[in-house]
Amino acid sequence: MSVRDFGYSVSDQRAVDLDRKMPDELERVYLQEPSLRNCIACGNCAALCSAGSFTGFQFYRLNVLVSRGLLSELAKKAEACMLCGKCQMACPRGVNIRHGIMLMAQL
Amino acid sequence: MTQQKVAIIGAGPAGLQSAISLAEMGFLVQLFEKEKQPGGHLAHWHVLFPDRQPANEVLDALMISAMNPNISLITGAEISAIEPSGRKWQLKKAETLICEVDAVLLASGFKLFDAAQKEEYGYGIYPAVVTSSELEALFMHQKPWPFNENLESPKIGLVHCVGSRDAKCGNLYCSKVCCVTAVKQAIELKKTFPAAQVYSFYMDMRMFGLGYEELYHQAQMEYRVQFIRGRLSEASPADGQRIQVKAEDTLMGRPLKLTLDMLVLMVGMTPSVVLGNGSASVELKKPMFADGFVKMPGQALDDSRLQKPGLFVAGACKGPVTLPDVVKDAKATALDICNYLTEVL
Repeated sequence: MSVRDFGYSVSDQRAVDLDRKMPDELERVYLQEPSLRNCIACGNCAALCSAGSFTGFQFYRLNVLVSRGLLSELAKKAEACMLCGKCQMACPRGVNIRHGIMLMAQL
Repeated sequence: MTQQKVAIIGAGPAGLQSAISLAEMGFLVQLFEKEKQPGGHLAHWHVLFPDRQPANEVLDALMISAMNPNISLITGAEISAIEPSGRKWQLKKAETLICEVDAVLLASGFKLFDAAQKEEYGYGIYPAVVTSSELEALFMHQKPWPFNENLESPKIGLVHCVGSRDAKCGNLYCSKVCCVTAVKQAIELKKTFPAAQVYSFYMDMRMFGLGYEELYHQAQMEYRVQFIRGRLSEASPADGQRIQVKAEDTLMGRPLKLTLDMLVLMVGMTPSVVLGNGSASVELKKPMFADGFVKMPGQALDDSRLQKPGLFVAGACKGPVTLPDVVKDAKATALDICNYLTEVL
């Protein structure tokens, strides 16, 4: 049956629902790289990111997705990283960003 | 030579410490406390940030030092005005003369913000919404938890800046101590309920003191407290006594919702007293909306003296401050009072 077009559609709920259980895959990411919990979202990683200058890649925002349990898009977004490691040299909280990215890209 | 007398208004940490210092210098101190018990807010606190030192340990040490023959503690005594009489000052309650002294120290501290004013958080309406001060009482088993203690993994939220940095509450200032208190309380919650999920809703994490940032770090790594940047917009009833909260997750740029078993409001500090400064006398009045703390004319180099010679102010009645800073301020003010009394002799 074809869907009748009424000229409008219903948007998806945008709210982040923290009542949902954290996906096991993301619990494993934290288990393998605990330093990801240490991020304070200062943005230093993104400010000096070479990939970010061209693609809008921001590591700290990816890390927020992990902490909010939002799995979809994570792997695709992580692919933008070139693993140069500049961010890791600058991170004030010592987050092992490259390892974090590798884990996210494999999701 | 007769011993010079100092009256201190308020027997919290500031009043107690100044009384101890002045008594040790040889002055006679009359220490007035409006409540039945001395100790101020410290008497109702469980453990202190950042080292989680038991609050009663600190208060007991102060009370032992205050057992000095030069100090007389008068509880249940509210002072309403300070009036000059020659070079001396008279303390009055309504029209009744309470005492005459050579110098007066105001150390009346702070009041906690009345959380019911932020109606959108439902304090006083939903039993699962408590203040940070009530949480301390819960830690001390002075009342039951507002959720089933046998829950495997209770979900608990802490809201920063309740009554602080909020023009709607008349308080534009930051209360300074609530951020680190929230971190400390989040850790204490995780120690009480190890499987609990604890969320902290903040605008900025203001970890200004030595050991505070380290505590924040510990809360993230060791205790897995989730910090969410965004001011809570509202709390509403969910199933049973649970609370649903809504906030903007500003790092996600998306709204966020969450159901909690308990919501803790980090209430800020508000003034306890406003100085009426009409004629020669100084009235101690109840603060009104946006009145602010006691303003000191000397600013950076002299923040203990009012413009009237012989009147001094110490502690949190000048603004939000931590306990160690109150103790230092009290000691420094005692020295200022000593210098003043030596000059006028």
